Amino acid sequence: MIKKNRPKISTQFEINAIVFYANMILLLPLILVVTYLFEIDKFLNINEFMFWILIFNFVSLVTGTIVLALNRDRLRRKVKVTYRNEFFYLVFLFVFGLLGFVVLYDFMGGDRAYIANILVVLFAGLLYLAILLGRKYFNLYYINKR
Amino acid sequence: MKKKQISDESLNRIIKYLAITLLFFGVIFLAMQFSDFWNWILAAIKTVAVPVLLAYFTSLIVFPVIKYLEKKGVGPRGFSLAIVFVLTVSIIFAGFYYLIPRIVEEITNFFNRDVQTIITYLQTGLRDDFIFGTDIYDQVYTYVTETDIISSTLDSMIPNLINTLTDSLIPLLSSVILLPILLIYYLLDYEVISEKIRSVVPQKNAKNVAELGSRLNNTIGAYLRGQVFLMVVLGIVATIVYRLIGLKYYLVFGVLVGITNVIPYFGQIIAAVPPIIYTFIATTGPGPITVLAVNLTLQFIEGNIFQPLIIGHQLSMHPIVIIISILFFGSLFGFVGIIFASPLAASLRVIYNFYREKKQEKKLNTKAEANTS
Repeated sequence: MIKKNRPKISTQFEINAIVFYANMILLLPLILVVTYLFEIDKFLNINEFMFWILIFNFVSLVTGTIVLALNRDRLRRKVKVTYRNEFFYLVFLFVFGLLGFVVLYDFMGGDRAYIANILVVLFAGLLYLAILLGRKYFNLYYINKR
Repeated sequence: MKKKQISDESLNRIIKYLAITLLFFGVIFLAMQFSDFWNWILAAIKTVAVPVLLAYFTSLIVFPVIKYLEKKGVGPRGFSLAIVFVLTVSIIFAGFYYLIPRIVEEITNFFNRDVQTIITYLQTGLRDDFIFGTDIYDQVYTYVTETDIISSTLDSMIPNLINTLTDSLIPLLSSVILLPILLIYYLLDYEVISEKIRSVVPQKNAKNVAELGSRLNNTIGAYLRGQVFLMVVLGIVATIVYRLIGLKYYLVFGVLVGITNVIPYFGQIIAAVPPIIYTFIATTGPGPITVLAVNLTLQFIEGNIFQPLIIGHQLSMHPIVIIISILFFGSLFGFVGIIFASPLAASLRVIYNFYREKKQEKKLNTKAEANTS
C-alpha cells in the first residue's frame, strides 16, 4: 500500500533547474563579491562592469535554459535519495549572493548605516528559503539533529 | 540471621583486581624513580609524533583529490601527486603573494596612524569614559605612576612570552619544514604503508583493525576537509562584512577570523576581541556593538548552517568534550595539540564506539550460540 504522506522524490531535472536559476539570479551579486573582496572595484568603472555582467548573465540564462530543456527527459529519469552536495552548493550560493546584494547596494550609493538591517532581513529570508527548498526538493532535513 | 558468605569466584575476582591495582601502582612508583629517562623518551616521542600526525592529517585532506584524479585516468601516482602538490603550493603562494603585502600595509598604517591616537586616548580621553568615575581613575593612575607597575610587569612578562613562543615555534617550524617531505613519501606509498601497518596486527584482529582504520580515516578526513573549507569561507565572509560595515583594517581582522576558526569555540572569541577593542578606541567607523553583532551572526551561521552541512551531525561533539580535549591535547602537544584537539577527540570517540559495537556483537553471537545448542 502506498503511504499518503510519503516524501516527494525530486528528479535531477528539478534540482538542476533550481540550482541553475538560483545561480543565474545571484550571478551578478556573486561576481560583485569577488571584485569587492579583491578590491578590483577600485580599478574598474563599476557601472560598465555590471552592464557586461548582465549581458553575460542573459546569454548564460538562455544557453542554460536550452541545455536544460534538451536534457530534460534524460535528467527526469535520474533520481537520488538526497541531494546533499547540490544543496550544499545552493547554500554556498545563498551566502555569497546575500553578501553580493549588499555589495550591490553599496555600489549603488546606498546609506551604509542601513547595511546591517538589510543584511539581517535578507539573511532571514534566504535562510527560510533554504530550509523550505531543502525539505521540499532536496530531501534534506538538515536542521534536525537526528 | 545467617550471614551470606562470599563465593570463591567473587573472592578470586577481588584478589585479582587488588593484585592488578598494586602492580599498577608499583609500576608507576618504579617509573617515577627514572623520571628523567621517561621525560627524555616522551620528548623524543613528541618530536616524532607531531610531524607524523601533521602529515597524516594533511594526507586525509589531499588523498581524496589524488584518488579522484586517478579515477579520471590521471596517473601514475607520481604524476597525480605532482599535479596536486604543484596546485597546492601555487594556491598557498598566490594567497601569500596577495595577502602578505596588504596585511603588512594595514599593520604599518595601524602603527603609523592609530597607535598615537590610542596612547593619547589612554592618557586623556579614558579619564572621562572610565566607568567607575574620575576619582577612582585618578587613584588608579597615581598608583600606576608611583609604583611603576606596568614596566616591571612587562619586564617580567616579555622574556617569559618570548621563551614560550620560541619553545612552541621551533617544533612547529621544524614540523612545517618536514611536512612536505613526509607527505610526499606517505602519499606515494599510501596503500603500501597502510598494508604494512595492517600486517603488524595479528591475523585474528586484522579485519577489525582494517575496519576501524577506515572508519577513523573517514571521520577525521571529513572533519579536517570541512574545517579547512569553513576556515576559508568564514575568512572571506568576515572580510567582506567587515569592509561593508566600514571597519578599518578589515583584511587583518577577516583573516584573523578565518585562522582562529581552527580552534573550536575559543577561536571566534579570540577573533572578535581585537576588532571590538579597536572600535572602542577608533573615532570613525562602526561601533563595538555592530562588530559584536557581526561576530555573533558569523558564529551562528558557522555553528547552525555550515557545520551541520559540511562536517555532519555524526561528528558533532558536546562543547564540554571539545573544551576538555583542547585543554588536554593543548598541554600535551602545545599549539598543534590545540588545533588538532577536535579531530583527536573525534577519533577517540570512533574507537570507543567501535569497541562498544564489537562487544555488543560478541554478546549477541554468544547468546545466539547458546540458544542453538
